[in-house]
Amino acid sequence: MKNKVLMGLAAIAMVAFLSSCGKVPQAKVDATNAAITAAQTAEAAVYVPAEFAAVQDSMKAINAAIEVQKSKLFKKFGPISIKLDETLAAANKAGADAAVKKEEVKKGVEASMVAVKAVMEENKTLITKAPKGKEGAAVLEQIKTEMATIESSVAEAQGLYDKGSYMDASNKVKAASDRATAINTELKDAIAKVHGKKAPAVKK
Amino acid sequence: MRKIWRDVLIFSAVAVSFPLFILILIHFTPKPPIVEMEHARRVLSKAEKSRADTYSKKLFTEAKIFYDSAMVNWKKENKRFIYFRNYDRVAKFAELCTKKASQASESSISTSSNLKTKLKQKIETLNDLVDQIDALFNTYPLTTEIRNRISNGKILLGEAEIVYNKGQYLQANRKLTDAEYLLTESYEYASTNLKNYFKSYSIWRKWVNKTINESRNNKDYSIIIDKFSRKCFIYLEGTKKYEFEAELGKNWVGDKRTRGDMATPEGMYKITKKFDGSKTKYYKALLLDYPNDEDLEKFHAEIQHGSLPASAKIGGLIEIHGNGGKGIDWTEGCIALADNQMDVVFRIAKVGTPVTIIGSMVDLKDVVEK
Repeated sequence: MKNKVLMGLAAIAMVAFLSSCGKVPQAKVDATNAAITAAQTAEAAVYVPAEFAAVQDSMKAINAAIEVQKSKLFKKFGPISIKLDETLAAANKAGADAAVKKEEVKKGVEASMVAVKAVMEENKTLITKAPKGKEGAAVLEQIKTEMATIESSVAEAQGLYDKGSYMDASNKVKAASDRATAINTELKDAIAKVHGKKAPAVKK
Repeated sequence: MRKIWRDVLIFSAVAVSFPLFILILIHFTPKPPIVEMEHARRVLSKAEKSRADTYSKKLFTEAKIFYDSAMVNWKKENKRFIYFRNYDRVAKFAELCTKKASQASESSISTSSNLKTKLKQKIETLNDLVDQIDALFNTYPLTTEIRNRISNGKILLGEAEIVYNKGQYLQANRKLTDAEYLLTESYEYASTNLKNYFKSYSIWRKWVNKTINESRNNKDYSIIIDKFSRKCFIYLEGTKKYEFEAELGKNWVGDKRTRGDMATPEGMYKITKKFDGSKTKYYKALLLDYPNDEDLEKFHAEIQHGSLPASAKIGGLIEIHGNGGKGIDWTEGCIALADNQMDVVFRIAKVGTPVTIIGSMVDLKDVVEK
């Protein structure tokens, strides 16, 4: 009789042990969520959107997997723990990659700013050398208006840069740079075309 | 001995019944909608990849809410005693999430594709418009405000193209809308101005024919100034002999109305005086009989109608003179020629030589086509 009771207790203890041996790796869950938040703060969604979306999707899958285990009588969080390690690493990487990409864009904007300002300075010099013959001076007046617009666009880009909106600043400075370069080409072509020539008196 | 056999039997019975018992326990455990949730998550992820968060925001947000609701309910059910759990609501939310996320995905693909096509067309149209503006109005005296609007429009168009090429269609659309507004409005303003300018074309044509006929009949020289093409044509016996570049008043569009309006007058005039040497500061000059009777009549009529203030004064001293070749309309209403060209005009012109100043030799349609 005593043996029966012991065996019964052993069976109940085994069931209780098996059904409660798995614990949610909460520390890892918290660490991964914190890493995702940090990546978000590092603007991973802006600078490495695909990478960040993959991390978020992975975390969603982990949350679902945790609930799957919680729904079971016998829980097993081992594979989830491994997956959490991977996602934590991916989140950290996304944050780091975003920072690198952001710095890259920032440096790109800085370089573009310097380049566009140099082109604008060159344009100002070219304007003084550009032919003022047939309609030339009138066209130069339009070019001057356009250059003033480009300068204010560069100033807007600088404002965006100062606010840390490097992507928007990059788009703006690129457009300004394209226009400035187009004017530069136009001026150089005009100078090259009339180089050494004098305005003829057309006789019919 | 019997006791041993009895214990073995009991142990065997427990060994068999325990797994059986476990299996029964597992079998009757309520099953969560694992497949449905996994499917919902995948569809939601697919929708996100197709940028549904941008192009089908409402449907995507609904899908996300359903997914989150499913998760909340799942967690809630998991907290209950295992045999009291009910995952029906979880399954329902998962199903709704899948449905909305699929719709969001489809809608996003279709919207972004349509938007892409629409934006591409708009970029092409606006680039054509910019070309047209440059061709028609590069040297046309537009106001500084309109010039600035055109420049801003061009820059915005450039920005729109950059973000379009990066696949950011909504941002491109916003920039294009602004660029379109600036460019279209400026073009319409300039076009209306141009159309008004060409309203007198039939009169100009008559003046031109009359001037050429006069040259033919008198077997003498006549001068025609075409303001729009900035040309000075010299006719002899009805045939064009010379064609020079001319520069005009800063505000050459339209007829001259008052003194100091910087406009070059339109009308049929005659040379009244010739100046050279120290008599002119513009190398050589031919004074015209502006204002003639017609100009005076028009001026007084404007004063009477109140379209000009009573204090307004009519201008004068309109000349064809040298010092031109600057490539810009810089005079206060006169016609400036390069000095070597002025020599020719000065040589052939005499007091009484007709000088007809018109808006354009060709009509607006031909100007636009050209």
